[in-house]
Amino acid sequence: MNALLYLSWTSARNRFLGAFRRVRSPRYAAALIVGSLYIWSFLFRSPNRGATADFLLGRPSQTLITLLMVLTLAGAWVFGADVTALAFSQAEVSMLFPAPLSRRQLIGLKLFRSQIAVLINTLIWVFVLRRGGNLLPSPLRALSLWILFSTLNLHRLGAALVQAAWKQHGRIGARRNRYSIAAFAFIGLFIVAGLVVHRSSYLGRGIGEFFSGLSDVLSSQPATIGLYPFHLIVAPTFAHSIAEWRVAVLPAIGMFLLHVLWVMRTDAAFEDAAIEASAERARRIEAFRGRRSFGTITGPKAGRATLRLAAKGHPALAIFWKNMLCLQRTVQLRLFVGPLAMAIAFGAAVASAGGDTAGFVSVTSATFALMMVVFGGRLIRNDLRHDMLHLPMLKSLPVAPSHVVFAEVASAALPMAALQLVLVVISYFASLLASRQPIPASIRLAVVVASPVAVLAINGALITVQNGMAVLFPAWVRLGSGVSTGVEALGQNVLAMMANLVTLGIALIPPMIVAWTSVLFLNASRGLSLAFVLVVASIVLAIETYGAMLYLGRSLKRVEPLQTV
Amino acid sequence: MISAQTLTKLYGDFTAVRGVTFDVAPGEILGLVGPNGAGKTTTLRCLAGIITPTEGTIAIAGHTMDDDPIAAKRALAFIPDEPHLFEYLSVEEHLRFIARMYGVPDVENRLPVLLAEMELSEKGRSLPGELSRGMRQKLAIACGLLHEPSALILDEPLTGLDPAGMRRMRATISARASRGAGVILSSHLLNLVEELCSKLLVLRQGECVAYGTMDEIIATHPELNGRSLEDVFLALTGESGEAS
Repeated sequence: MNALLYLSWTSARNRFLGAFRRVRSPRYAAALIVGSLYIWSFLFRSPNRGATADFLLGRPSQTLITLLMVLTLAGAWVFGADVTALAFSQAEVSMLFPAPLSRRQLIGLKLFRSQIAVLINTLIWVFVLRRGGNLLPSPLRALSLWILFSTLNLHRLGAALVQAAWKQHGRIGARRNRYSIAAFAFIGLFIVAGLVVHRSSYLGRGIGEFFSGLSDVLSSQPATIGLYPFHLIVAPTFAHSIAEWRVAVLPAIGMFLLHVLWVMRTDAAFEDAAIEASAERARRIEAFRGRRSFGTITGPKAGRATLRLAAKGHPALAIFWKNMLCLQRTVQLRLFVGPLAMAIAFGAAVASAGGDTAGFVSVTSATFALMMVVFGGRLIRNDLRHDMLHLPMLKSLPVAPSHVVFAEVASAALPMAALQLVLVVISYFASLLASRQPIPASIRLAVVVASPVAVLAINGALITVQNGMAVLFPAWVRLGSGVSTGVEALGQNVLAMMANLVTLGIALIPPMIVAWTSVLFLNASRGLSLAFVLVVASIVLAIETYGAMLYLGRSLKRVEPLQTV
Repeated sequence: MISAQTLTKLYGDFTAVRGVTFDVAPGEILGLVGPNGAGKTTTLRCLAGIITPTEGTIAIAGHTMDDDPIAAKRALAFIPDEPHLFEYLSVEEHLRFIARMYGVPDVENRLPVLLAEMELSEKGRSLPGELSRGMRQKLAIACGLLHEPSALILDEPLTGLDPAGMRRMRATISARASRGAGVILSSHLLNLVEELCSKLLVLRQGECVAYGTMDEIIATHPELNGRSLEDVFLALTGESGEAS
């Protein structure tokens, strides 16, 4: 057998056996059962037809996915490619880089290995889309998704290779890759031109017409010229019949093959970038085992603006201080662009009619605050999801484990809450100046009054859930400050986010009962009564969270570095 | 100062350490030696409170790790073979963090002295990723020594240090012991152990095969009389040490 094939096969087999052995642990076995039931209830229930199918596989969804794909891929060119696309294991760097192998063989290995992730994600999404109806047989849908994910993966790798070449060769490298750069400039130009010229078709027309208007603009010239290659890749996935699929699949395969050709012909000297990315990945893995140094990270910015730490005080505050520095130096602001863009789009859709700038600001701020509830915990990770990499050091510190958990949860929850509170206040004052005020003033005031407590309680609960996953199932959770991106993380990210929200939903049941009971006794449809109900419900949630943090403290005391691998 | 009684650590069916008992008095340096996989690192991690022993008790400066782990850890410094550093904190921020964590008084005066002692004065604002392996090791050592621990646990402390750094580290270990700290030194460098340690604990396959001063060990193994520590070590651990 070819040595690289042998390496891939034995690695995959041993990884599977390792995961299988891990399930022998009662905690992981229980989690697997609960997770399987959850996936079964979500994915395998009888498929819906009608409205759900229209939504999932309709033209607006296809347009949205195409646009998201453009934004994702363009992001790699505007903000810099994800260098982890080039990561190899440390053993591969040590043994394969000096071995008599060509760069193409190494890239071939990388592509072959990424197919495992692509296939898993294809499987997840086949079942997700299955709920949307039986418009297309599952094997055809699977093939379409495989083409889509493989092409995305190839593009991510191609972008990383091109940028590695830029870094390596400077302007010479940029000249060698001028066709890739020109292609994206061309695409972007046509999309932006379409959005600008036809902006009246989707702005200020209400949320219902916003997406259909946007879809119309993106389906007409000049945007279609720029979006054409992306439509080709996405079209088979959204085909509504076998005949439609037959027409769409060949161009998609063509795009896939073009990407294969592009990546395999990009003869970039990627070794430096790959070694850097590999070192970062190895650092995460090895550091967590407590066997290796943490000193080779390249992620944190070199900025030295520091925060003051008082010489005396509770030791747990030092952990909070440390994590604030971590946030300051590792947060990836570009990841906030997506939620912000969605909030702006929503604000534009519902409140930009008649030049109502105040209404636009109010809706956009409130939407962004709400989106931070969903996405914030994924973007701000300066808590145990990061510090579990430093478990040996964390456990040798003279601080009670429960205090460690409090400090860690606060490190992520407080910055998120601060951002959301600012947004809520902006939204409230902007709403006072808005020409249309669909929500009564007393309700808006009640929300603003209750928001400090409510926002803290919800963020605390959300971050506790995510930290709980890191402490209880460290082998299944991505650790470190980096946010997982790329095809290999697509399906898992969606499932993880939904699992977190479902857990939060369960945690919200007692507060909801208390809130409902309070409503019965108070006339909570009016101003301050509503604020009181929100505050009481938030306090109940905070008490639940406190109990969960104490439990996590006990779990943290028991968890050991070697158990976690 | 450091006490372990019938220390045992199991990982499933595998016994990493079995029934190890020893004491380190103030001012004493205990050398912990053994072949690879003998259980040295597991023993040290148990002592530092990083992992919980399956059986047995550990006490640091009179505080047991079971009943009062925070007081025990406050009296302790654990310097591992690979420096455990936060990649986003600068050299100076590491020391400020540790100072606050351990309640170190007079940190403003101690910091420059310690940085100068470790030859890190010029690197106060550098992140660990910008330091050499030896400098990171020096920072980890500085973090360990900042709070004047009464119990010091060192795992291969000379790894990555230059000759001058090694000499300074040897002097530091001796100085800390002479000031009353109990020290455990784990190392494969037998000449270092011979030079610094007043007592030896030899582990093999998780069990103690010899414990005491060199004279006490020789007394129980008279056939080793007059032999070097390397010969004693190889004889006790059943290793030949010859090239194949």
